[in-house]
Amino acid sequence: MNIKALFKSLLLRKFTTGLLILQLAITLGLLVNSAILAFDTKEKIAQSTGLDIDNILIMSTHPTSGNYRDLDYYRSIVTEDMVKLRQLSGIKSVSVTNQLPLRSRGMLRAIYDLDNPEQEKDDKYLQDVKYILTEEHLIDVMGLTLLEGRFLNSSDQFDFGSEEKHNIVITESLKRALYGDDSAIGQETNSGFIVGVIKDIILDPTLPSDKQYGLFINTIMEYIYFGRYYAMNVEPGQMESVRAKVSDIILNVQPERDIFKVFTMGEHLKRFYRDDQGLADLFMLLCGLMLFVTAISSYAYSQFHISRQKKFIGIRRALGARKKDVLLYVLTENWLVYGIGCLLGVVVAFGFNILLNQHIVLSKPDLILFLIATCIIFISGTLATWIPANSTSNISPVIATKTV
Amino acid sequence: MFSYNLKLAMHSFKRAPSLYFLVLLTLSIGVGLLCANLALVSSMAGDPIPEKSDKLFHVSMNTWPDDQPQAEPLHILRYREAMKIVESDIPTHSAVFYASGVYARDSQSKSLQRFDSNVRATTPGFFALTKAPFAYGNGFAKSAGMEVVIGAVLNQKIFAGKNSVGEILELDGELLTIVGVLKPWSLRPLFYHVTEGRAFNLTDDIYAPLETAIDLGWSIHARSSSTVSNTGVQFTRDRDVFYLQAWVELASKAKQQAFQRYLDNYSQTLKNAGEHPLDIMNELRDVNTWLLEQKIVDQKVLAFTLASVLFLCVCVFNASSLLLSRFHSAKFEVGLRRALGASNKQMLMQGITESVVLGLIAGIISLLLSWLFLKLSISFLPDLANIAVLKPKLLLLGMVLALVTSVSSALYPLYRANRYTISAELK
Repeated sequence: MNIKALFKSLLLRKFTTGLLILQLAITLGLLVNSAILAFDTKEKIAQSTGLDIDNILIMSTHPTSGNYRDLDYYRSIVTEDMVKLRQLSGIKSVSVTNQLPLRSRGMLRAIYDLDNPEQEKDDKYLQDVKYILTEEHLIDVMGLTLLEGRFLNSSDQFDFGSEEKHNIVITESLKRALYGDDSAIGQETNSGFIVGVIKDIILDPTLPSDKQYGLFINTIMEYIYFGRYYAMNVEPGQMESVRAKVSDIILNVQPERDIFKVFTMGEHLKRFYRDDQGLADLFMLLCGLMLFVTAISSYAYSQFHISRQKKFIGIRRALGARKKDVLLYVLTENWLVYGIGCLLGVVVAFGFNILLNQHIVLSKPDLILFLIATCIIFISGTLATWIPANSTSNISPVIATKTV
Repeated sequence: MFSYNLKLAMHSFKRAPSLYFLVLLTLSIGVGLLCANLALVSSMAGDPIPEKSDKLFHVSMNTWPDDQPQAEPLHILRYREAMKIVESDIPTHSAVFYASGVYARDSQSKSLQRFDSNVRATTPGFFALTKAPFAYGNGFAKSAGMEVVIGAVLNQKIFAGKNSVGEILELDGELLTIVGVLKPWSLRPLFYHVTEGRAFNLTDDIYAPLETAIDLGWSIHARSSSTVSNTGVQFTRDRDVFYLQAWVELASKAKQQAFQRYLDNYSQTLKNAGEHPLDIMNELRDVNTWLLEQKIVDQKVLAFTLASVLFLCVCVFNASSLLLSRFHSAKFEVGLRRALGASNKQMLMQGITESVVLGLIAGIISLLLSWLFLKLSISFLPDLANIAVLKPKLLLLGMVLALVTSVSSALYPLYRANRYTISAELK
């Protein structure tokens, strides 16, 4: 096999070869970046959240009746809801909260140590600490891990309207931001006294993992109109049966409620990345289309080539080249084109990656992805050229004699 | 001559149907996909109120009461600033509002079913400023009063679309009378409230007088910021709670400058009173500048548009190499026609006619495909549901794109074909 001769033969049809190489390069660039998007999204969904993600069920609801403007009535209904939910077999614990983890923004508040109010100027994340109104059962429901002190308990719920300073529990990263390696127990912040520190959970996936600042306070009953979510921890394996029943349970307590959605924490996480997933899927779809179009081109390219080279191939056959040799010759020629296309594709992939990075966040391409994408292109290209290549090898040597 | 060319084109299509089918398919997929994406981008980047988008201004102010770093002016205002804006007679119209939500039912209805409704709690200037289209009745005249205007969607749900002016709604336990019903009203983007990811929401269900909503304690459903604990909207009038958005209509450059001075003077009085520790930074942004600043165009769609541009290139390359092989196999015919005296120009005209016909067919298919791709994009990115519409101008663009791509992919093959000579073929 003479590579130089192959190059020469390719140069004979610069235009079509050039077009095919460009197509291959663009296809490779798209394949690589789509794969990056898909892997990035997969990684995000699989990240560790610090929550008992498979066993948490959430129900979001809002009253529809004006009666709930009487807060004592509202509280009595919520209390009864929780009692009824706890009685359901399969439910381990129930809590109520104003906001869920794995969500950006929400109810936020600036937090600083009372002796050190300048803190929030140095760390801008301290201005937007997740302010979670809840009650004592949230630790069991979410599967939180206590690092220091204790979680909230019923004595942390004060008389409504009381001016007394509340007790709060904070996340580990917030503790580090406020007190470094020292203990935080007993310290006084602008939002109350710290009685416990829990291990970090992913509160806002858009923030760095060491900035998951959050604060838990036992005031949800006082501000019950913020209590939009019932969170439940369900026995493993009971999720579906529990899920089917919870809406009716609270509607039986009082029907004038809108239940927006009943969902698991796992679905909640997926929902957060729904658009990333959607985009990754769209790119995959485009990849499929692109491969299809490129395969058509590869097919047309070799078909065209054969129609022009019939005579030469016939001469070759007449001079003693076997069918196998001709097949190999045509395929090698195509592989050479794919090889050049894929090499150029590396440049396109990096260029496209940079371009996409102006709009979305995605990682840099790596070698394995290039190898996989190159393989895909070679395989699909070879498949597409197989028929024309095969028919070329069937060109009879007689052709050589037909024309002058 | 044209009909003759047309006939030749048809003849040529018949000779190699599968090849032309592939050309059509790739071109129309490419154009369709790009067109669908452009439809999304153009909806997102569109001007929702072209007749006066340069006269409507969003007001941002920097009146944060302590020296906590709030470098940028806020898009939400306190009640006191908002009232200062409403008081001024410089703007032709002004609107100050916040977004809320209530459950609504017809107070006369036997059913207890209530509908989750988005509320715009606003001053009366809103309707004239946004040119809200009324089907029945009109807007409320004052900022207080138990009156509401409802949107077409809610009117359809509760009153089956009839003239419901004078009917009484029960909203979170309170009775309010309907004084106006809007026609179906779509604003893309929803320029008056593009923050908090609401740019592509539908227009509101209920428009209620601002003071009434505050008195009834209808909660704030968009961003609010405060330096004090916020115990409910009914207590916000004299507190440092930032939650109201303001728009003004300023008819001329002079008015605009006058209003800027008005705001700055106000800030100066706050500064003099020691209530304004930060620099004075009040901003008026017209509709398009404001939309641009808020970066509402979905970056994911832009990224995908980039990819579909590349894809269209691949499709054109593909069509081009297909056509080249087609012309190559028709070499003899071309050579023969040339030998019989067809001029270069005539050959070119024939080729162009063929690709124009091809482009037109591809255009029609691609319009169908782009509709399909739009539906598909919505199923992958559900947030785009409200903006996925094919406007006439996009349909036209799709046709033009299909024509251009079809002709451009035939250019090189044509050039090559015109160099074939009969003598070479006869050999």
